[in-house]
Formats: sequence, structure tokens, C-alpha cells
Amino acid sequence: MTFWKKLWSGCADLSLDCRQASRAQSDALEGPLPASKRTGLWIHLRLCALCRRYGRQLQFLHRAAHDHAESLTDPAPGGLDPAARERMKKQLRERPPE
Amino acid sequence: MPAPDPTPDTTPVAPAVSPPDPGRWVDDHGDYLFRFALARLRDESRAEDAVQETFLAGLKGGRTFAGRSAERTWLTGILKNKIYDHFRKASRERSFTDLEFYSGEEEDGFNHDGPAAGAWTPDRSPGEWDDPGAGLDQEVFWRAYRGCADKLPRNISAVFQLREVDGLESREVCALLQISEANLWVMLHRARMALRHCLEVNWFDKTR
Repeated sequence: MTFWKKLWSGCADLSLDCRQASRAQSDALEGPLPASKRTGLWIHLRLCALCRRYGRQLQFLHRAAHDHAESLTDPAPGGLDPAARERMKKQLRERPPE
Repeated sequence: MPAPDPTPDTTPVAPAVSPPDPGRWVDDHGDYLFRFALARLRDESRAEDAVQETFLAGLKGGRTFAGRSAERTWLTGILKNKIYDHFRKASRERSFTDLEFYSGEEEDGFNHDGPAAGAWTPDRSPGEWDDPGAGLDQEVFWRAYRGCADKLPRNISAVFQLREVDGLESREVCALLQISEANLWVMLHRARMALRHCLEVNWFDKTR
């Protein structure tokens, strides 16, 4: 095999498929990937627009959850039922002195 | 000679803040804290207990605040720690590992055999999201996001909230839930895939 054929074949071996790449992109949010995975992911992303898109969407959701944590609590009215509310107030007022 | 002013000077040098009234706390923050706890603990009576403990701890703290928003942020911080205490205890009694969710070959969105094995299936490949950032200001977007997050099963949801929302380090999440780092990463990956897909269907591309 020529040098170039060997190189191409080697890259193809290293490259991740989409399923592996989606896992690697998630793991990359947790910490540095091992070198071979990082290279394999890089190669795959050069070739695969869908996985690049997946990566962008992953980043977006990752940051949205973290930066807008308060939006993830339902602001709709409702919560403690009136009995629970009264119970809580009573217990707090009657708490033993410190 | 005029008589000395008998009344002492009572001009405040700083805005007067009174010690917290527990009744007012329950009225101002009870519902919010309860909803927060319920989303995490998924059990009304545990959520109520956690909120109660939060108020008690808050009253012991003896702090006062100039504004409700600062008060709520502080109380939410205490509540989170109560929730973490709950997880720490619960993880001694039951497993928080879930390797079943999104594990099936039919559901994960990839071909599992044939020449295109490992590639996205045509109907599940990521679609183009038009200006995703615009959603961040819209309550309807967050309603969709919350709806999708609520669909996550209990253990997956716990992992997602601790890591993605609260931003705890991986090893902190592992210690809290007594799960291995390897399993944590699998669960996070599946949570993210499920969430992304759900949001795509329910928000970004309703026609799919």
C-alpha cells in the first residue's frame, strides 16, 4: 500500500461513527477525551455535518440548562396546598427556642 | 436657655430590617421552594419536609435581607443542600444507576446493522434549529424544555439536574448518588440525547 493509502486507512480506523461521536461529544463536556477518541471525533466531525449540528445543539442545551436554572422551575401558580401551608407556619412559629 | 430635646435621635443610618417572620417566608417563598423541591424529589411529602427544614435552617441562620429576591436565592441554596442530603441518604438504600433508559437499539436514533451501521437513522438525524437562542427569552420555550426534562425517568433526571442545572462536578455527583463515573457518563449522554430529541420534536420542528 502506498503511504497515502495507509494514512487514509489509518484515519478511517480511528474515526468514530455517528453513534460513537454523539457519545464522545457528551463525554467531552465532562472532561478531556483520551487522545485517540479526540482524534477520532475530530476526523468524524470534519466529515459529518449532522454530528457537527448535534454538537452545536448539545452545547446550546448544556449552557441553557446551566445559565437559566431558574427557568427550569415551573413558575405556574400553585405549590403548597392550604393545609400544608398552615401546618408549616404553625410548626415554624412553635419551633423550640434556640 | 431652651430645654434639651428630650427625645433621642432615631434617624436610621441604614434601612431598618426586621428579623424574618416565618409566616411571611411561607407566603413569599413556600410555593416556589415547594415546586423546586418537588421537581427534584418527585414526592410531595418529601418536598414539603425539605421546604420545612429549609425554613427552620434559615431561621436559625438569623440573617436578614433587604430584598425578597436575595432572600429567595439564599433559601434556595439551603434547599438544594437539603435535597442533596436526601440523595446522599437515599443512595445508601437504593441504586441511582439506570442503564435501561434510551438503551434500546430501536430508540437511540442510530442504525445498528447494515452498511450504514453507526450512522443516524434518517428520521432521527438532527434537524436544523433556526435561531435557538431566541427561545431563551420565551416562556413557551422553557415550558417545552421543562416538559421534556420532566419526562426523564427519576434517576436520569437526578443526574441531569445535579450535573447540568446545578453544575456539580462529576465526582460530586458520583459521590452523592453512589454511582460510578462510567455509568454517570452513560446516563448523561442518554439524558442529553433524549432531551435534544424531545425539544426538536416539541419546539424546534413541530412538523416532524
